[in-house]
Amino acid sequence: MSAFRAVVLEHFRHPRNRGSLVDPSGQAEGANPLCGDRIRVQIRNENDAIAEARFTADACALCIASASLLTEHVRGMRTSDAMAVDAAWLHESLGGEPPAGRRKCAVLPLDTLRRALADAAMAT
Amino acid sequence: MAHGLIDHDDPLLRDETGVALATLVSATGSTAKKLGAKMLVGRSGRLIGGVTIGGCVDAQVIEAADALIDRGERRLLSISLDDDEAWEMGLTCGGAVDVLLERITPANAADPITAAHRVVHAALDRGASAVIVTPIDGAAAALVVDETGVRYGTLGNSALDAAAATIVPDVAASGARVESLEASGVSQRFFFDRFAPPTTLVIIGAGQIAMSLTRLARELEMRTMVIDGRERYATRERFPDADDIRVGMPSEIVASLTPNKRVAVVLVAHDYKYELPVLRQLVREPVGYLGMLGSKKRGVAVRALLREEGFTDDDLARIHTPIGLDLGGKSPPEVALSILAEVVAIRSGKRV
Repeated sequence: MSAFRAVVLEHFRHPRNRGSLVDPSGQAEGANPLCGDRIRVQIRNENDAIAEARFTADACALCIASASLLTEHVRGMRTSDAMAVDAAWLHESLGGEPPAGRRKCAVLPLDTLRRALADAAMAT
Repeated sequence: MAHGLIDHDDPLLRDETGVALATLVSATGSTAKKLGAKMLVGRSGRLIGGVTIGGCVDAQVIEAADALIDRGERRLLSISLDDDEAWEMGLTCGGAVDVLLERITPANAADPITAAHRVVHAALDRGASAVIVTPIDGAAAALVVDETGVRYGTLGNSALDAAAATIVPDVAASGARVESLEASGVSQRFFFDRFAPPTTLVIIGAGQIAMSLTRLARELEMRTMVIDGRERYATRERFPDADDIRVGMPSEIVASLTPNKRVAVVLVAHDYKYELPVLRQLVREPVGYLGMLGSKKRGVAVRALLREEGFTDDDLARIHTPIGLDLGGKSPPEVALSILAEVVAIRSGKRV
């Protein structure tokens, strides 16, 4: 099994940070209109840093793995640093670049996370 | 006459000064219709609406209608279904039925039967079941008791109303029937007629099978809700017959529903991204039916994943997959038919 596949399956079966926050500092929803992936990312800021990031999703394994990895990674980061997380980091963390037709699935949580961060920044 | 209730907005009915309402109140032997089956007949035997009781019963109701409308009487029509020649050939099931005939005036809000049907319409719209109690003999009267125990109308005295109300929960659970009630030392027979809200068919995945499901479910008087995460699929243009169309995260939408035995959920997205979250949400809820489109192999894989998450074999046994009765058809309308056949069978208490 390739490293990419192993990472995706592991995070799909045991997603980190799946669930909702009661009182998020910011949140955003994202969807892939053709395949039907839907995700909501919520973050809670504390002392200028991300104290918690969680997600809910009805989405494919790759999208869920991506959300799981991202929400783990940004915990404790400042907003500006979290905003700088990019697709290259994501691909490396996934153990490889997703097939061309699946890149949108991996990037949807990243895009949604950024909008959740922007939402939190607007609220402060 | 949806759900056995008078449709007060029916233009055919609105202009009638009086119509005969026939209700099947008891039956022995084998009949095609359930107790509570109804038909409405106007003057000169004009059938109002598409509902009839069936066979020779219809003919006798039509024959009796004019006199009944003129005189405003109520009567019990006892009809033997035996036909000696047909019986010899095995062409009749035999038995007897009692049909309660009564005149109603739909335009008159004070008509007790008309008023009772309005109250039941309102209860069904709220998602509540209700029972109408009417006397078999004597003057027209109607008492409605909804599933919360709230009463409307009267049978003529409070002792009868109270006695009837004690029987209603059992009727609500087991079905329509005749019961005798006693008040002031006099015994009288009453028909307890049960009305339940329609089955709500919740369809996850707005594809071609879903389109067929909404069309066929309408014929079966089911409410339909179509859910998908894709806006361009779950549209009114594609689902003109659906009662409700929702776009969003399917697992969150189903979580907002009130699960009960009148809710049937069918997963026809053929996509685990919806199936797993929706099944996690519903597999322990008391929905009447939970089915998932897919092969036996997929069913095994989905169950295995959910078992890893802590769902028990009893939980997972509630998922009907492969979905539907095996009718042999493969086209979307045929698959939809097999799904609805299974929903109806389960709703009727059949083991499938």
